[in-house]
Order: sequence, then C-alpha cells, then structure tokens
Amino acid sequence: MTVQLAGVDRDVRESIRDFLYLEALALDERRFRDWLEMFADDARYEVPVRVTREKLSEWELSPNSRIFDDTKETLDVRVKRLETDFAWSEQPPSRTRHFVTNVLVQPGERADEFLVLSNCMIYRSRGDETTPSLFSAQRRDVLRENGDGWLIVHRWAALDQAVVNAHNMSIFI
Amino acid sequence: MSTPVISTDVQRMLDDMRDGIWQGRVPARIFNDQEIFELEREKLFAKAWCFLAHESEIPKKGDYVTRYIADNSIIVVRDEHGNVRANLNMCRHRGNVMCKSEMGNASHFRCSYHGWVYKNSGELIGVPYFKEGYEGQLDRKQWGLVPIRIDTYAGLIFGTLDPHAPSLDEYLGGFQFYLDIYLKQGANGSEVHGPPDHWIAETDWKICAENFSGDGYHTPVAHQFGFHLGYFPSSGSTHSEGWAVNIPGKGHGIGLGHTPGMPAFFGYPDELVKQMHESLSPEQLEVFSKTRTAVGSVFPNLSFLIQPFSLVPGEPGVRFCTMRLWHPIGPGRMEMWSWCLVPRDASEEYKEAAYKAYTLTFGQAGTFEQDDFENWIKVTKAAGSTLAKNIEFPYVMGLERPQLEDFPGPGHAVSPYVTDTNFRNLWSTWLDYLTREE
Repeated sequence: MTVQLAGVDRDVRESIRDFLYLEALALDERRFRDWLEMFADDARYEVPVRVTREKLSEWELSPNSRIFDDTKETLDVRVKRLETDFAWSEQPPSRTRHFVTNVLVQPGERADEFLVLSNCMIYRSRGDETTPSLFSAQRRDVLRENGDGWLIVHRWAALDQAVVNAHNMSIFI
Repeated sequence: MSTPVISTDVQRMLDDMRDGIWQGRVPARIFNDQEIFELEREKLFAKAWCFLAHESEIPKKGDYVTRYIADNSIIVVRDEHGNVRANLNMCRHRGNVMCKSEMGNASHFRCSYHGWVYKNSGELIGVPYFKEGYEGQLDRKQWGLVPIRIDTYAGLIFGTLDPHAPSLDEYLGGFQFYLDIYLKQGANGSEVHGPPDHWIAETDWKICAENFSGDGYHTPVAHQFGFHLGYFPSSGSTHSEGWAVNIPGKGHGIGLGHTPGMPAFFGYPDELVKQMHESLSPEQLEVFSKTRTAVGSVFPNLSFLIQPFSLVPGEPGVRFCTMRLWHPIGPGRMEMWSWCLVPRDASEEYKEAAYKAYTLTFGQAGTFEQDDFENWIKVTKAAGSTLAKNIEFPYVMGLERPQLEDFPGPGHAVSPYVTDTNFRNLWSTWLDYLTREE
C-alpha cells in the first residue's frame, strides 16, 4: 500500500490522533452513547472475515463476509441493547483497553476528509477469567471535519486472526 | 479405531442414562468431561455422517476448502471432472499437511516436505527420484490421499469415517423434509453468502447442538433484550406456540415456532414464495408457511436457524438463514463455524439484506449470538466442576405429551414449541453411539 502523508499539516495530524485516543477512552469507559456521537449519520462500520489463504490469492479479507457490517442506525441498536439490563454478554461488562498506535494520516477524497491508518490492540478481560482475549487489528478510517472536531465516516478494521480466540465479539473495535 | 478404556463411574453414568433419559434426567457431567470427549471422538464422530461443506463453497473445478471430522483435517474439493471429493489432508509419504489454506483453487496438491504431488482428486502422480530412489518398489496407485466416504443432500456435503455406516439418506431418516426449509429457499435452493466466521469458545458442542435442536424455551430470557427493544411483536405470551419434531432413534430435531397472525412465509420476497409453492410438497408448504422460527439440528453437530428479522426493531424484516457447525476440539472446548445461507435466486439486494440481518443477530458479533455463548461457557464451566459429576438436569418437559396425530410431516411431532421432547431423543441417540459394541 502506498501511503501519501504529504499535504496533511501537523495540527490536523495531532488533532486526529487525539480524536482516536478520545474515541478509545469512550469505549474503554463504556460511554457507548458518547462513542456513537463520534460517527457521522452516514457512517459505515465494517469488520471483514479473514481467511487463511495462499500468498498469491486474490484476497485474504473476504469481500462478502463480515463480522460487523453496520450503519450508524444498527450501531445505535447495539448501543440501545447495551443500555438494557438484558445484554447478558456484557453483564457484568468486559473490561477493555484499546491501544491505538502507528497513526498515519493521509488526505481523503474530499477536502474535509482524511484517510487514517492505525493499529489497534484490544485487551479484553471478563469476570474472574485470568486469560484475557486479545484482538489485534488494522484500522482504516475515513474521518470528516466537524467544526473543531471529527466524525468517523467509515471505520474499517481487519482482525489479524482468522480464527478468533474469543467466544463472542460483544465489544467494539 | 481403538476403543478407549472407560472408567467405572463413566460406565455407570452411561448405564444409568439408558432409562434416565426417558424418565427425564440427563447427567451434567456429559457436558464437560475428558473421557466423554474421547469416547465421542472414537465412537460418535468416527461413525456418524459429519458435515463438511456446502457445494456452493466449491462451485468451480479445483475449488477446495479444508474442514474437519473430529481431529482429522480433510480437503473437500471439486475435481477436474466436476465431482466432489474428500480426502484426508495428509501426505501419504510422511504425513505432512497438504493444504494449509482454508480455501482456494488447485488442480494438484504438492507436499512441501519431499514433494509428492497428487491430483486434486487424490491420486498420487508425482514422486521425486521415483526411478533413482524407489527403483520400482513404490506402486503409486497404492499411495493416493486417503479418501473419505461422502454423500450429499440438497447442497450439503457430509463425510463419514465409517465404511459400514448406513447411507446418508437412511441416516437423515426423513429429516430431509425439514431441512428443505433451509436448503430449498426458492426454485434453485440456497447458497452460502461467503466464507464462514469461525471462532473458539470454551463451550461443549453438545450444549449448542441441544439448543439448536429446538430450544424455544431460552429465547424470551436469553434474548430478552430483543423483546425489550421491540424486535418480536409476538412477545413472551405467545412464544410457546408451535411444534417440535424429531426423528426417533436418529437424533435430528427441529423447533418450529409460530406467531399468531403472521402472514405465511413472512419476510420472503413474493417471487421466492411463488417458486416455493412449486418446488415444495403440499405437506411442506403446510408446515413451513406457519413457521416463524425454524431452529433445527442434524445429529450430531450441524444446525440451522431461519427467522424473519428487521435490522431496526419494528420495521418489516427479511428472512435470514444461518448454518452452523459446533466442532469439538477438546472437552468443553469447540471451534464454531457459522455461515449465512441465502436463496440462490433472490436479488442481490435481498441477499445483502438477509446477510446484514445475519451479521447483526447470529454472526460472531451478532447480538443474539453473543448472549448464547455467554450462557454456554458458564454451563460448560459448571458442568466440569467436581460436584457436577453427580448432578443431573431435568428433561421432563413434555414427558407426557402425546404425539400430534394429524401432523403433515414425518417424525415425532408435539406441540407446544417449548418442550424437551427433541432433547430426550437427541441424548438417547448420542448414548446409542457411545455405548454401541463394535
């Protein structure tokens, strides 16, 4: 992948990095309603299914199978679910920590949008289980300027494991 | 296959189950136990017809997927003549894994250790230093990949390690009637939407297989959020309505939940319903048209669910269909494989809508899926505890309930939808396999 960093000024880069950290903080503090507000109304949230394949295969990330395939509307359903007392998979809630690194900011297709690459390592601990789930993912986000801040227009995240070592994905990436 | 040595207490537990199941008692221990796991591997998964793949996963010549029966890796391939074949994924020379990918396309497989080459159908055709090294001592015809006996039903490819197993047709024993609700959506049937999700869960496969043999009972509580958000206008009060059907002695079972007043085939496009009126039998139409939820399992570990669902509560929904394999990899530990089946003849828009409904509900991050596994890992953990070795669970629901007399489909049908009837048959069949003499 060619990464084009030219044309993005330092303030924008820093502001976007802060935004990603604030987003991670909202998730880790389980402020899901605040987190949802960080998405544009036309947002897409996608996590493709990874398949173990030969080196020269056309794709390793399935073009048509997805673990998450959401719009802001369905993310809102997920958040509403978490706000009930009956979301058993998060009752008691997971303790998560999103570690966001390797942030690279490139110009987007529109003047007010940026394509942002980052790595995300998610640690999840549940109940009294001493073995955490670890999810390593590459994110490719499109962020749009929104006044002084940013909105996520597209969150695309690919997990590095083809067989995920967790009994569910009841958290957000 | 060697028969594992059974300890006296496990033997006693299995002996007690013979009558216990029909009195409505099943021991907790079977749901997380090393010995039971080993017995299942040798006496159940080595004998039953096990699901391998759907034909639509390997549509073209050379397409392959790698799958498992018990701990055996198996290559399922469409050969150069268009026939589906299955072979053990193990080089006959020194046992290296032939195919390290989950899927792909290949006319030949070449071992990365000493370079033996097989046609995708399994015949050995290339041996390095054949003349210089083997000097005529190796008959290539004798050393092809180990073939696995396979058979298909309506797109499903099953394999068995037992050369003496009855035919797949006999094994399914009439359950085909019900499988058609999942496999014959429209005139040209169903296809997978894409490769399956898979993940590891500290769960015993049997808990999941039982749940999907028609556990309508758990829905209002395990998935209470769904009722709370308004996904199911039927509410808990009418939820018990419907049928539970099983094939006695075969282990297969299905729950068919009804919603009073729901239009026939609710959620399907009209064109598809029209096609099904021609492709399905009048008896199937009678059963399927009343069905809201169909949750069923082919013994031992392949399950299906079809259900109308709207992405946002209260909107008109689409019918999504999932196929899932609960693959045991240890006592109380499994690998989950989950596919979405879509009607082959439906529009791309419909397929996409059905797939989205699947991911939001029963994909790996699905809102319903999440809660199921959260419960099941807890059940598994408890079942493996010391005291649980002597604890039984009640399976008495519907114990006295007579069989429906005028039910249009095959098997043993009862009403209501919430019952343990299918599960008693499931565990009885399971016991038959585990205690069968060679």
